[in-house]
Amino acid sequence: MNTDNYILQVHGLNIFYGNFHAVRNVSFEVLPGEIFGLLGPNGAGKTSTLSAVEGLLKPQSGSIVVAGNDVNKKPLYAKATIGVQLQATSFQSELTVSEILQLYAGIYGVAMSPGKLTAILKNIKLDEAAGKKFGQLSGGQQQRLSLAIAVLHEPRLVLLDEPTSGLDPQSRRQLWERMESMREKGHSVLLTTHSMEEAEAVCDRIAIIDHGRLIAIDKPQSLVDSNRSNPEVIAASRRGKVTLEDVFIGLTGKAIRS
Amino acid sequence: MQTIPKTSTALGSLLRADLVTQWRNRRSFILLLLVPVIILISWKGIVEKFGGPFALSTCITIGLVAIGLMGYSNSVARDRDKGIFQRLRVAPMPTWCIMVSRLLIQLIMIFLLTTVIFIAGKDIDHITLSPSGYIISFLTAIVGGAVYLGLGQLIVGLIQNPETVNSTSRLTYFLFIMVGMFGELGVLGDQIKQIVLWSPYGTVKRIIAAGMQPGSWSQETTTALLVTIAYAVVFSLIGIRKFKWNNK
Repeated sequence: MNTDNYILQVHGLNIFYGNFHAVRNVSFEVLPGEIFGLLGPNGAGKTSTLSAVEGLLKPQSGSIVVAGNDVNKKPLYAKATIGVQLQATSFQSELTVSEILQLYAGIYGVAMSPGKLTAILKNIKLDEAAGKKFGQLSGGQQQRLSLAIAVLHEPRLVLLDEPTSGLDPQSRRQLWERMESMREKGHSVLLTTHSMEEAEAVCDRIAIIDHGRLIAIDKPQSLVDSNRSNPEVIAASRRGKVTLEDVFIGLTGKAIRS
Repeated sequence: MQTIPKTSTALGSLLRADLVTQWRNRRSFILLLLVPVIILISWKGIVEKFGGPFALSTCITIGLVAIGLMGYSNSVARDRDKGIFQRLRVAPMPTWCIMVSRLLIQLIMIFLLTTVIFIAGKDIDHITLSPSGYIISFLTAIVGGAVYLGLGQLIVGLIQNPETVNSTSRLTYFLFIMVGMFGELGVLGDQIKQIVLWSPYGTVKRIIAAGMQPGSWSQETTTALLVTIAYAVVFSLIGIRKFKWNNK
């Protein structure tokens, strides 16, 4: 495959926090129109990897290229190509939904006519809450607004850090549909998640990261198939039938992480 | 080729949002203004004894301490804790835009504070200055404000927890007011008076007072101005170097 076709290329990524080696030589690629899941236990290095792609932290070594733009050499160009939803929704609680959308439209250089604003608000079912302050929104409403802002500038790559954590089943399903709709429009999605159900439901490919190392990368079903006879995966299996969660537990261990 | 949005457009949007946020938090700014205005109203004897510039410069200095320590440092600590800065940092604009927007808001606050004190001084104590006195006072208030904004930056640079930032800034504010005001009057002894004169409180107050009467500007005032600038630079540099954009 022509490597220019990748929307994201991460190569030989190493991240240290002091003496702690958080991400160890991680490499992967994301294709256009692909939903790519990054799975791992707590503290495995998922958010650190994502933060490096977002440009929030500088890796000690390795390269990250987003749509042909090196994140470290051309950070503003790389950032203009990506849309981000961080783990914690984070907007000024004194601003209203409309004001937050207008703020980020200005920051991303998106012309925001009143008609366009109304259409976005209707699309995320926040038209009646347009004048509500961010601090007054429910968790699901905050997530929908956050996602709308992540795709406001039609980015080629959308980064979602545990987007469904804390959401009720209805909101979670709705978010999955939105991710699939993004894929249909040609956006690529890189998401981190703890939910195997989510990974199986929406991801085209997943990578499992543990102790900072990438230990598996494939399609969800292919990962299950290729690990069916792995003794650790069989030992982790609870109902005789091997699931993606069994593969995850088998590969990363049963010990609880911090 | 990917295009990036204009920095001026991004900065304009940020500034508008920060202004709206500040306007919605106007009660806290009014509370910050109350202390110097109450001092101005209640200390009529000071005006008669030490003159109008002494009273006005004391009130402006106390207001500047409040803006830098209570207003700026607490809002930065709170927004950092909420992750607002992190969300802004992943956007395609230079990171300095975030802080420039915040500082421009503080500049407006300094201008408002100085104006309110001048109006209160004229209405209540009939203190008037020459046109050049007003202009130079605004400029020296900005230089003095930079010292306390730098001190606020130093506090949020050294302390991560927003609650600890809040309590530290309140304690520092209280110390500045009590030791500054009473120390300058000699109530706490000559040694403390000398220390206060060359402290961030004393140098800022002196340049503002001298600015109100340009004719009284002396060599010692120039030295105080240089010391004030040095305080602002040192506090800001350490505060910026130690500052972390998130709490994790």
